[in-house]
Amino acid sequence: MQAEKSLQNQPHTEAGTSRPCRSCKWQTPDPTDPHRGQCTANRHAMGGVWKRWLRDVENTTCARHEEGKLSFRDHV
Amino acid sequence: MNDIASAKVLEYKGNTLRFTPENPAEAKIPADELHEHLQKPSTARTKRLKERCRWKHASAGEFIEKSVTAGIERMRYLTEAHKASEGQPEAIRRALGLANVLNKSTLVLQEDEFIVGYHAEDPNMFPLYPELSHMAVQDYLRSDYSPQPADEAAAINEYWKPHSLQSKCQPYFDPADLGRMYQVSSMEAPSFASGYNSIVPPYETVLEDGLLARIKLAEKHIAEAQADMSTFPWDGTKGLDNIAKIDNWKAMVIACKAVISWARRQGRLCKIVAENFETDPKRQAELLEIAEICHRIPAEPCKGLKDAMQAKFFTFLICHAIERYASGYAQKEDTLLWPYYKASVVDKKFQPMSHMDAVELVEMERLKISEHGAGKSRAYREIFPGSNDLFILTVGGTNAKGEDACNDMTDAILEAAKRIRTAEPSIVFRYSKKNREKTLHWVFECIRDGLGYPSIKHDEIGTAQMKEYAKFSLNGNGATDEEAHNWVNVLCMSPGIHGRRKTQKTRSEGGGSIFPAKLLEVALNDGYDWSYADMQLGPKTGDLSSLKTFEDVWEAFRNQYQYAINLCISTKDVSRYFEQRFLQMPFVSAIDDGCMELGMDACALSEQPNGWHNPITTIVAANSLVAIKKLVFEDRKYTLEQLSQALKANWEGFEEMRVDFKRAPKWGNDDDYADNIITRFYEEIIGGEMRKITNYSGGPVMPTGQAVGLYMEVGSRTGPTPDGRFGGEAADDGGISPYMGTDKKGPTAVLRSVSKVQKNQKGNLLNQRLSVPIMRSKHGFEIWNSYMKTWHDLNIDHVQFNVVSTDEMRAAQREPEKHHDLIVRVSGYSARFVDIPTYGQNTIIARQEQDFSASDLEFLNVEL
Repeated sequence: MQAEKSLQNQPHTEAGTSRPCRSCKWQTPDPTDPHRGQCTANRHAMGGVWKRWLRDVENTTCARHEEGKLSFRDHV
Repeated sequence: MNDIASAKVLEYKGNTLRFTPENPAEAKIPADELHEHLQKPSTARTKRLKERCRWKHASAGEFIEKSVTAGIERMRYLTEAHKASEGQPEAIRRALGLANVLNKSTLVLQEDEFIVGYHAEDPNMFPLYPELSHMAVQDYLRSDYSPQPADEAAAINEYWKPHSLQSKCQPYFDPADLGRMYQVSSMEAPSFASGYNSIVPPYETVLEDGLLARIKLAEKHIAEAQADMSTFPWDGTKGLDNIAKIDNWKAMVIACKAVISWARRQGRLCKIVAENFETDPKRQAELLEIAEICHRIPAEPCKGLKDAMQAKFFTFLICHAIERYASGYAQKEDTLLWPYYKASVVDKKFQPMSHMDAVELVEMERLKISEHGAGKSRAYREIFPGSNDLFILTVGGTNAKGEDACNDMTDAILEAAKRIRTAEPSIVFRYSKKNREKTLHWVFECIRDGLGYPSIKHDEIGTAQMKEYAKFSLNGNGATDEEAHNWVNVLCMSPGIHGRRKTQKTRSEGGGSIFPAKLLEVALNDGYDWSYADMQLGPKTGDLSSLKTFEDVWEAFRNQYQYAINLCISTKDVSRYFEQRFLQMPFVSAIDDGCMELGMDACALSEQPNGWHNPITTIVAANSLVAIKKLVFEDRKYTLEQLSQALKANWEGFEEMRVDFKRAPKWGNDDDYADNIITRFYEEIIGGEMRKITNYSGGPVMPTGQAVGLYMEVGSRTGPTPDGRFGGEAADDGGISPYMGTDKKGPTAVLRSVSKVQKNQKGNLLNQRLSVPIMRSKHGFEIWNSYMKTWHDLNIDHVQFNVVSTDEMRAAQREPEKHHDLIVRVSGYSARFVDIPTYGQNTIIARQEQDFSASDLEFLNVEL
């Protein structure tokens, strides 16, 4: 159960999801390929923003999905 | 809140030193608002121009100002010409494309401006380049800055897919390798995927000859080639060479005619506005003067400073934004403009003016650059946070005779920068002990006002480097010993020749980055990237159980580095192969004496090799290696497996261990244990392995260590590292700069560490943060001047300074709207502090603010 919860908190493939990473406020596009992205949800207490690469921003999601867009000030 | 006056008292050589401000009025200014008091535009006009400047700063991939967006006209007219010219030689198609854009695009004329010209249909817009990378344009189409109509833009991008540089180059690489590069975690993406580029335009020919003379030259060459082809007896082994040359010269003629016509169109617009719309007689007269200038130049040679400034700006727009995108503002501006300054200010022969009029012109130029929009890809909207693009010009140094090259134009450029206070363009000062003190004072004043520039490059190191590269010239026509003095920084850090020929024309010659911090991370994981992409990121170089000695770790890193740097340079050379076949630059070719003489395209001709690549995040990797050697292989306090376990947990549950790794010897403290390992790392691997590679131009590729904002981006894509860093924390902020906050032994210890690295380097960026009260005190100049002399004698390539207080940066974080004039040095460029994400701002605050102790002053031999 704990493992399942942990998995749900990590970006994972879910074809046709209605909550894709692309629309999530923690996501920012890949620097080169617009089909990919970067998750910025992992934020360390010391100020670090530890990104995770997203292979397919349309078909990945996680339990932390939140619609919206962060200000540039809150990104890297 | 502190004020600027420092309470610091120092006993030095029997004297008691107090650091009260040189300007007594400053003693009353609160430290957290100092920089809002320093701008002094030279005229009411430049004050107005700054207030209404259309800034286009980007951060985290986004534009700060909501009104900024991509335009469609360039891509529309380029595409229209490409479709209509099918079947014609490619060089001519490129020239026709440029001509169609210049002939049909909307002109922009703004209130108050004296230097005219823009590269998009609206001053809030910038052009896009679908012929370079369709991925980069697609990113714009999905963004808030998409060109309109969006359907038309999408159709244009679709049209270019098979024709783009990206599509031409990609088939020659393994998709897995490209996938690794596109992430920008261990390597920068190749330019064919991003479209990023840089150039040193040969401005000199435009200003000295004028374009009508270049057209005549090309027509003469065409006539000679045609005559050669009809000469008896025909020699097919040579005669056929004329075909490509004739095509190139014809393309040059088309391009130059189009540029003249475009400039004259600008002039006509000024005349129309003056005669039909403008009601202020003074502005009417000025518009008519601009109209006359634009009719005459760049067609004819420049005769005065106004001519030169306008011709230079037109040339900049074509070379950097219209013919093809290129970042940068590379030019030796004081040398380039001096003859025209002399004509106008000293001799009053043409366009007579005072020195302060020249300063105003430079302020206006700086504001034109400040509102220049770059249609660069997302990666480059992320990695220069707080600026619009990299705009960097060079001044100072020595001339071809080895004499001081500073002149009154140098001073005008520096004074204008100090007065108008804009982050762009940044300035490089080539430091020589021959430089006059008057100019050094201007350099110092800009630095102590917190502009972050001029950044300082060692004049003799750069000149020697140009001579060394010349030895590898494929056509035996590299820089002569005299020409070797004619160098500028191509972008942030790397010297390259400026002048009428032999300049760098494309970033496939030099540029691009490699990231040692990530490479070390994957070297400790058998080439696997567990912390960002969850995939194999490099070759399998052994799991932890196979790394039994420190040399095993060292060699695993070396193998990862060899793989990455080889891939980086090969992608650049493949780009070069296709650039000269499908992305010719007829205008740039026309203004280069070598291309004109030989009938070659600028991307094809290489006379002076200048191969370089930027290692970024080297110090995180190097400090990590030091900690591994000490704690794992010498003290044997931990095993590699324990270290790996702690890193995978982001040190959570391993705090004591993290502190041990954090406290291991660090770079920048004149500590021989750390410095010996790190010096070997720079010289044997970072430089030694890179220089084994030969690029298109026949010369070695050398490292130019720096950082731009990539130290933040790559830091956020790199997990925890053995230097005690947490996952996602920023990496080191410059090529050879100590990691933020770890250089605790004072500024001269930093210099002694850095001076130990001498072999196999092309350049290395050194960021230093100096105390505001000391620099603004009456002793400031003497201390800085002595520092510079010592830096020079230690044979260090580069240094740049932040002179900004923590109080002020914190105040700007609290109330950004009150601190628009606060500028900081990021790395290789300066930025408006409030336009940088908080993550990046904190990295600048965290840099060690260097104070000066009595022993530092003694080492610097300061006479006070």
